[in-house]
Amino acid sequence: MLRLPIGARKNWQQMAHDYGFHFHTMHGQAYWDETAYYQFTLEQVERDLESPTEEIHQMCLQVVDKVAKNEELLKKFAIPEGYWGAIADSWQAQEPSLYSRLDFVYDGRTPAKLLENNADTPTSLYESGFWQWLWLENNVDNNKLSKRADQFNSLQEKLVNRFKVIADYYGINYLHFACCKDTDEDRGTVQYLQDCAKEAGLDVYFVYIEDIGLSEGGELTDLKNQIISHCFKLYPWEFMQREEFGPHAVKSNTGWIEPIWKTILSNKALLPMLWREFEGHPNLLPAFFENDMASMQAQSDIKKWVKKPLYSREGANIDILENGKMSLSSDGPYGEEGFIYQAHTPLPKFGDSYTLIGSWLVDGEAAGISVREDESPITQDLSRYMPHIIL
Amino acid sequence: METNSKQKRSSNIDISRMRKAFSFKPLAIGVASIMLSACSGGREEAVVFKNADECKNALPDLAQKCETAYEGALAEAAKTAPKYNTRNDCEYEFGTNQCQTYNNNGSSIFMPLMAGYMIGNLLSPRPYYQPMFTSYSRYSPHRNNWMSADGRDFGDSRKSKLSVKPSAFDKKPAVTRTIKRGGFGSSVRAKSSWGSRSSGKGWGG
Repeated sequence: MLRLPIGARKNWQQMAHDYGFHFHTMHGQAYWDETAYYQFTLEQVERDLESPTEEIHQMCLQVVDKVAKNEELLKKFAIPEGYWGAIADSWQAQEPSLYSRLDFVYDGRTPAKLLENNADTPTSLYESGFWQWLWLENNVDNNKLSKRADQFNSLQEKLVNRFKVIADYYGINYLHFACCKDTDEDRGTVQYLQDCAKEAGLDVYFVYIEDIGLSEGGELTDLKNQIISHCFKLYPWEFMQREEFGPHAVKSNTGWIEPIWKTILSNKALLPMLWREFEGHPNLLPAFFENDMASMQAQSDIKKWVKKPLYSREGANIDILENGKMSLSSDGPYGEEGFIYQAHTPLPKFGDSYTLIGSWLVDGEAAGISVREDESPITQDLSRYMPHIIL
Repeated sequence: METNSKQKRSSNIDISRMRKAFSFKPLAIGVASIMLSACSGGREEAVVFKNADECKNALPDLAQKCETAYEGALAEAAKTAPKYNTRNDCEYEFGTNQCQTYNNNGSSIFMPLMAGYMIGNLLSPRPYYQPMFTSYSRYSPHRNNWMSADGRDFGDSRKSKLSVKPSAFDKKPAVTRTIKRGGFGSSVRAKSSWGSRSSGKGWGG
């Protein structure tokens, strides 16, 4: 695993415009950065990332199976009681999921360690599935990268195929897509998924989350009053479950992608549950619920813990606890639902940057990686996206 | 361990289909027209009739199919046509006397009249059909054009023969009356008051 400099393609910003990649610069800072790339060996990809990703996914599903029918655990996960039935039903029916992203600490030498599972609303999908793919094609064509260079990135192919499976499962030929207003990144991610669904032969309709309506008959509707029978939503279940239309998300019988059982996976309580079920697994970090201090203290060799809210995204509200006192923390709006503790493991440093690996799953299949860098050891939402190759 | 013979990246991304914007220079027009004709592959012939009689007159041998498809299209139109709370709103979009009442769970709302129905795959035992609408309103961008229930424009309504993609016959979402909006999104409004996160970044992870 190497970080290597490379010249940016001369026309990349024009291409970004042509292909609709509108969020390559955010808050005045570069988000997409092609002045360098990461190089992995095939063995690093297959042995250290691809296999663990699929294995951890199966372990996660075992946790879902356990939690979905256990009221005490559902409480620990801070899932509102009104949704327990729907979660159990959705899991029982094996409603199809589309994708997830596992975030790993990985340095190229030691086993990758799971930081969290973004199972409900992962982003950085377009830049992973298409944009870095195009970057590689262009640089191979320009003789800047070896003709033998490959990339761990079968995302787009797998997403298209998965949409075909989901369309068959529900017997549909159209699908609604939804995300929040005022965010180029989310809208871009959803547009990419619409493109993939179209390639799979589906007709697609878009509606903003805030514009969704409720009909006389209790169905959800778009702005044309079309009934939303099935919907991909880039909007967290834990938000929906605490909002006015939440109960209607279930009562309306809308087929959701991701399905509601993913509430269990996108929750940080997953991490102590994984440790409880698979303690000592090489790709897991010790993790405990906040009321389980005794177990934490028993791990006497671990001096540094990360305190994470059950519900949080992109490094918000994360505290690092060192020898019993806070040493570094990040602000944010999360935390009211409770916390978990996870053993701290430093992100590897390449040059001046801390590096985080996102490993993609389409349903249960590993589908590629994304590399993000940050100047801070806690990955925040202003991290930079770097392309990668396998050589 | 596998060998390098198996590629780890997507092999068949159609780059041209991923484009969102085109910036053709004048010299490239020839290329553009070649690309356009290449894109028209996979289309099929469809015919639009204004009603069952027009269909039967044109195709006396297929009278039964004309009738069955017409009935099916009418039922589909009731389900999927745009709906309006007032006749005025409907006529604004579709023109004077172009709307009818529709009974939605006991309340009356308004929808445009079906202006015709499109039939495809006529020789098969079960031809496809799709209800078609047109607007006579000078306020509508679709004036005198065929359109499907979900608002897709199929061009000049004086034409009865159309060349369409097979997906033109796909089932459309049912349309109903919305009584309330804005029941999702409050968490984002609450959390957006925090920090500098204003635009660009989303709520995915």
